[in-house]
Amino acid sequence: MSFPVYNYDKSTELFNRATKVIPSGIYGHLGPAEGQFIPVSKWPMFAEKAKGTYIWDVDGNKFIDYMCAYGPNVLGYCDPDVDAAAAKQTALGNCTTQPGKVMVECAELLVDTVATADWAFFAKNGNDATQGAIMCARAYTHRKKVIMFKGYYHGVSPWCQKIDYPGVLPEDVANNIMLPWNDIPLLEKTIEENKNQIACIIAQPYDHGNFHDNAFPEKGFWQQVRKICTDNDIVLIIDDVRAGFRLDLAGSDHFFGFEADMICFCKALANGYNMSAICGKDFLKSSMSALSYTGSYWLSAVPFAACIANINKMKELDTPKMFKEKGEKLTQGLVAAGKEHGFDLVVSGAPALFYLRIANDDSLVLHQQWVAEMVSRGIFFTSHHNHFINAALSNKDIKHTIEVAEEAFGVVAKNNPHIFG
Amino acid sequence: MTDAKTLAYINMYAILGTLENLCELDSEASALVKTKKPVSVGLAVTDGPSATITFKNGRCRMEQGIENCDVLLPFSSCEKFNGLIDGTVTPIPCKGFSKIGFLLKKFTPLTDKLSAYLRPSEEDLKDDRFFEISTKLMFYVITVALSQIGNNDAIGTFSASLIDDGIIEVSIKDCVSAGIRVKDHHMVTIKEKPETFRSKMEFNDIRLARDLFDGKVNAVACIGEGKIGMFGLVSMIDNVNRILDRVALYLA
Repeated sequence: MSFPVYNYDKSTELFNRATKVIPSGIYGHLGPAEGQFIPVSKWPMFAEKAKGTYIWDVDGNKFIDYMCAYGPNVLGYCDPDVDAAAAKQTALGNCTTQPGKVMVECAELLVDTVATADWAFFAKNGNDATQGAIMCARAYTHRKKVIMFKGYYHGVSPWCQKIDYPGVLPEDVANNIMLPWNDIPLLEKTIEENKNQIACIIAQPYDHGNFHDNAFPEKGFWQQVRKICTDNDIVLIIDDVRAGFRLDLAGSDHFFGFEADMICFCKALANGYNMSAICGKDFLKSSMSALSYTGSYWLSAVPFAACIANINKMKELDTPKMFKEKGEKLTQGLVAAGKEHGFDLVVSGAPALFYLRIANDDSLVLHQQWVAEMVSRGIFFTSHHNHFINAALSNKDIKHTIEVAEEAFGVVAKNNPHIFG
Repeated sequence: MTDAKTLAYINMYAILGTLENLCELDSEASALVKTKKPVSVGLAVTDGPSATITFKNGRCRMEQGIENCDVLLPFSSCEKFNGLIDGTVTPIPCKGFSKIGFLLKKFTPLTDKLSAYLRPSEEDLKDDRFFEISTKLMFYVITVALSQIGNNDAIGTFSASLIDDGIIEVSIKDCVSAGIRVKDHHMVTIKEKPETFRSKMEFNDIRLARDLFDGKVNAVACIGEGKIGMFGLVSMIDNVNRILDRVALYLA
């Protein structure tokens, strides 16, 4: 079977218009300059519509979308139950002078669902959540410094960027300490050297960074970190913005068998409706209350209604189990398809957020070529980011993806006879 | 947010080092430094870089160190050496007084010629040949400055600390290439196309490269438009681009 190769004339035209009126055309993680679309000519830039696990670009090309809006699409685009709940709340009111009662209901649901939650604090984006959690930890401990683990990404506030990023001052990151994963002696030494100065450790539940294989922490790592934090009055924050609800509906700390003091959620919280949340332990509630921290749309009612419907449906479907099964089935199929053509496709991270790398060359050029061939045949992958499973992905979609992968591997093998000849 | 020592390394290897390419690309420059016998000019900066430029058969080559120079220009500090480049300091040789004529009649006009190419007027750039040489020389200055900043500047070394080992090819398509070899976070620019690369950044054409160098176009938008290609281990390029931001700061 041969799959048609897409072209993106309208996308390109629209992007050219965009660059005239929007800095860089499409900025940030959805944009083409993040090193995820290589070469950019193989990717569409703009979506026309989305439904279930599919997106259609402005040229009318249909894709099975394994990026899921970089995480928010967890049940499927335009999920009827979530959209119905949102529509019902829209008719009642959204951004109003007082918050709707759904805010309380949403907080109660999160407290019932998330293992570490005694309370929930709402905002809009993942960065709002991580920023709020850091401020809360500093308010509680009256300390300045923050420990993070290598490969971290906790948002775009100046404190969580790096010293060499445009617009970031050395002072912005002066209180950050970056440590490698799994090095408990170094963590202990660092805390000893900064006695009573460390406000918190903030970390993703596992290393799911871009451009490298994803890795779970070593067995027992989190339990040791938990104890060290408790012994040294350091607040332990889990940034579950990316992995949250995909591994475990009770939180990724629960998945790894420990309890964070605060946990930050965003992407999979409301199936695309705009909200984020910090959940935390009771002893931090007063400090969170004391913060001057709010936003014009943070307490809007519609996303709360969507969140409630989304969480209830994820519970009903047991999505973490479903995502693991679908992720394993898909990635096993991809690996087998690659093997037939001589490719060593390495799969890492959780199956629900699988990360792919062709290991035949250390420059990743073969991997980039293969992903590009997949995308131009309707399978929306990115070059070096983890991918996401959503509940609308069917077995038929998985089978189709593997068939396209077989063809794409064949094309790349043919184009590189010096390696596969 | 720049420092004199890093600037001295840039001035030595990226600016004066580009005399090599000037003599290759510009026949007048080559003719200017044609001498009967080879002449080597050493530049020694206290607490900074030291190098020797050897002129032979209308070409020149820069090597590290001052062991084999005919003329030696000492500088008591990086600031003093940087003054040579911006024209505020006149050096006095401590060795090779008989070669002062070469310094005055050959070396100085040659560096003036380089300045003309590196700080051209809009009028000069209307000449296609001048435009091409100027842009190629700028390319070499920038790619060499990248390594100097990655090895010396406080923020640049942070960026370099995140770069994996391997060769990053930087090129203007069908025009000019350089390889930046990274080993244990130390960067060395080699001013020729590398045989292999671990990552590659390519500008589509020389006009685009010029506009980027002059800050007339947005690099991020160019990536989106496919005018700048990135291949291979893109995280290497990402970190090099962070250093590139600082090149503009030093060369401003």
